[in-house]
Amino acid sequence: MCGGKMEGNGAPGNNKQKPILPKNRGEFIRNQRKDSEGFSEAPDLEFEYADSDKWAAELSELYSYTEGPEFQLNRKCFEEDFQTHVEGKRWVELDAVQHRAHAMRLLDGLDVTGREKRLKVARAILYMAQGTFSDCGSEAEVQHWIRYNVFLLLDVGTFTALVELLNMEIENSAACSSAVRKPAISLADSTDLRVLLNIMYLMVETIQQDDPADPPEWRASRETFKTELGSPLYNSEPVSVMLFAMVTKFCSGHAPHFPMKKVLLLLWKTILFTLGGFEQLQRLKVCKRVELGLPRLPEDSISVIRSMRAASPPASASDLIEQQQRRTRREHKALIKQENLDAFNEKDPYKADDARDDDDEGDDNDNNESALEAEPFPLERDEVMPPPIPHPPQTDRVSFPKGLPWAPKVREKDIENFLECSRITSFICLLTSHKYISIAEIQIAKEEEFQKTPLSGGEEELELCATELLYQGILPSLPQYMIALLKILLAAAPTSKAKTDSINILADVLPEEMPTTVLQSMKLGVDVNRHKEIIVKAISAILLLLLKHFKLNHIYQFEYMAQHLVFANCIPLILKFFNQNIMSYITAKNSISVLDFPYCVLHDLPELTAESLEAGDNTQFCWRNLFSCINLLRILNKLTKWKHSRTMMLVVFKSAPILKRALKVKQAMMQLYVLKLLKVQTKYLGRQWRKSNMKTMSAIYQKVRHRLNDDWAYGNDLDARPWDFQAEECSLRASIERFNSRRYDKAVGNPEFSPVDNCLQSVLGQKVELPDDFQMNYDLWLEREVFSKPICWEELLQ
Amino acid sequence: MVMAEGATVVRRNRPGTTAKYIQQNIRSDCSNIEKIMEPPEGQDEGVWKYEHLRQFCLELNGLAVKLQTECHPDTCTQMTATEQWIFLCAAHKTPKECPAIDYTRHTLDGAACLLNSNKYFPSRVSIKESSVAKLGSVCRRIYRIFSHAYFHHRQIFDTYENETFLCHRFTRFVMKYNLMSKDNLIVPILEEEEEEEEEGGQNPSTGESEA
Repeated sequence: MCGGKMEGNGAPGNNKQKPILPKNRGEFIRNQRKDSEGFSEAPDLEFEYADSDKWAAELSELYSYTEGPEFQLNRKCFEEDFQTHVEGKRWVELDAVQHRAHAMRLLDGLDVTGREKRLKVARAILYMAQGTFSDCGSEAEVQHWIRYNVFLLLDVGTFTALVELLNMEIENSAACSSAVRKPAISLADSTDLRVLLNIMYLMVETIQQDDPADPPEWRASRETFKTELGSPLYNSEPVSVMLFAMVTKFCSGHAPHFPMKKVLLLLWKTILFTLGGFEQLQRLKVCKRVELGLPRLPEDSISVIRSMRAASPPASASDLIEQQQRRTRREHKALIKQENLDAFNEKDPYKADDARDDDDEGDDNDNNESALEAEPFPLERDEVMPPPIPHPPQTDRVSFPKGLPWAPKVREKDIENFLECSRITSFICLLTSHKYISIAEIQIAKEEEFQKTPLSGGEEELELCATELLYQGILPSLPQYMIALLKILLAAAPTSKAKTDSINILADVLPEEMPTTVLQSMKLGVDVNRHKEIIVKAISAILLLLLKHFKLNHIYQFEYMAQHLVFANCIPLILKFFNQNIMSYITAKNSISVLDFPYCVLHDLPELTAESLEAGDNTQFCWRNLFSCINLLRILNKLTKWKHSRTMMLVVFKSAPILKRALKVKQAMMQLYVLKLLKVQTKYLGRQWRKSNMKTMSAIYQKVRHRLNDDWAYGNDLDARPWDFQAEECSLRASIERFNSRRYDKAVGNPEFSPVDNCLQSVLGQKVELPDDFQMNYDLWLEREVFSKPICWEELLQ
Repeated sequence: MVMAEGATVVRRNRPGTTAKYIQQNIRSDCSNIEKIMEPPEGQDEGVWKYEHLRQFCLELNGLAVKLQTECHPDTCTQMTATEQWIFLCAAHKTPKECPAIDYTRHTLDGAACLLNSNKYFPSRVSIKESSVAKLGSVCRRIYRIFSHAYFHHRQIFDTYENETFLCHRFTRFVMKYNLMSKDNLIVPILEEEEEEEEEGGQNPSTGESEA
């Protein structure tokens, strides 16, 4: 089953329901495991990576705290209308027929022209989608009624009506132009849009979750909705494409009032629902391999990662320097030594040409604008160590000790490369036994076939799955969509400076009147940070899901998207994102739990004080931030894997110290993806770096899959060959273009290859422009060419 | 149609049979709404609803033609029934505020498109459950033609209704199959129906309460 995996699933009828206290974000067992590797005894972060966070967390993130008062407003709109039709009763007391009648009546009201009236009706519907919470006493009840009401709304056709209204709002040029002219945009400018998007999100998010306790009619509706949502049925384009268009319109400056956070959340959940989540992806991959006749995957990566333990973080530079200083202070007898040592200690830790540069960056560089912004990015030859001493392939690397989590792999290409250099035949057998053929390789080979034989190769059978439909929908404007997403990601990143942004992503969190008290300012501050964190979460999830789904569907779809991300500077962007105090990002507490839905509607709000705001919650870490970081690391891995040119970008952008700092987070999955990125660079970082980072090197050895014949641990092939980078990207681009044109450009075909029309009727029916002089003298022509010449009709017509 | 012993058979008519059956009943007596609404034994309910709706759209065209003489874009500038209910025309990608006659035309055309569309209704022999769900919105939007005619072009409405009993039948139809909320059925037909009901006793074939 696909759909979000929820921790502490509180679905109705689920025995695993735990009492939900507002302050806890889950149970955190403090593992006092002694890490034999190092000196840190901090426990692993108890984090379970999944498609999304727990049900309640995802719901509460839809709303900003500034929107809080609107819950009661929605309730009012619903109840005022409800009481005029069903006096004295409550929603929960009606039967199914009455519920349905009420829903249909409200839906009729959505078609009216009057904006005020329409908004009221929409709010009433939103209140239904929010679980008609005034009748609920607990979170479990709210969850139950949300599910019931949402399926009811779906059944009477609400989603279609909402899509139509959303279109109307998007095209509402009056609203757009007034928003563009406004000096300061606030929540008030996007009221209608926010209500519509809220309902749509609640519907998609709720239905997307698979609940085995659902009645069969709901299960059927769910499947139908999934198919329709992912197809061009609603709108002549999939809903996702419509949402992408909103994103670009916003980024172009034409619609600064669009509530981007909600658009992005809806886009994320729509993709998640229609295409599938991580477990679904894994299942698809297994299926596809079977279809293509490929051997089974050596392991299930999701379960392997789950069971990995984090390594204790490498010593921070400041620790190392301290150690050094302690040692040297004891030894400073000789003056000569003193000088050297002083010189060492005083050396500028941020200077690029210091071979120990990587270790000298301390923790206190929060304000350090990294070299990313200051310098251009030359390839620092100094850092690349002196010519390599060729090492014979170590035979003891062949046998792997038990306990490594990943089965080794080797590509066909690597086998060939190896064979060119040496002739150890017994090694070949070992290599072949670990040979891994990816789906991508098969797809590339097939594509080459198609390209070689455009006529006889036959028509490719395209399976019109949701991923394929989405790709076709976004293909024309994919570059713009990627640029827009990255623009917003940059604006939402914690290290970004507001003044440099041309877009304002805070439009849907800023209140109409700016705060007047200190407390209000603090609350807004938390709200704004939380808003940005949620945006990062949504974008990181969207990009990762799309990359994974496209890759499985066809490698060149993935490459197309990846290339545009790279061209839009995704790699430095992600590195810049990590060039911050990652630990404080992961442990950020930008939430006010008493204001989170549904707690805030189930309880009376206490007086907010500065202390309660600062206290936040008692969680060990921020789920969404850790989720975002892992996603971004995974994206970076996917962009750079097997691409020499992009890997070199990692080196050139001096990502190693940035990535090393990220290892401080004691979470196995995050560390794994950091280590992978480091592994691919190690041979370019120099012997000195490798010597000083033995802990990291051994973590790589233990945690990252071995590629047989990979010389990552010692720099053999250090020919960076910068002039090849362009060539690699260009040739990839050409392959991608050929693929897209072959598959999707039906209009543009080689005219020489189009079939000859030899149907008499069609040929005779074509319009032919006759030249003027012919028209003037046609009778002469007739005489000469037709009447004078004998024609054998039988022969002609046979 | 072969009846297997002891087994129920799903009657699969040839496409168009149901339509002909309905039309036949209408032709013989269009005021006998009960008969027209009564499905034959073994009739697939989805197909039944679908064919009735198609028939309604066909007959509504007749009303639309009559309305054209009186309903002009400059007199009826909006699609309205009573003052509080002015409607957007949803037959476009982006809903628009069309004048009443345009609303009528667009909505009927849109309904015909939908009902004849291969995407939603590829077969007239069986209807997908998901497509049945679409029928509700079609009904809701088409009904407004009746209400506009009733409140703004009363004579035309009455004449046409006396000939065809179309609004009566439509009201009965949406109530029977729960396709619209009673509160939205603002053309006062139901009171008459209820009076007839009280005189004639409980209607056995529907099983739906009309209170």
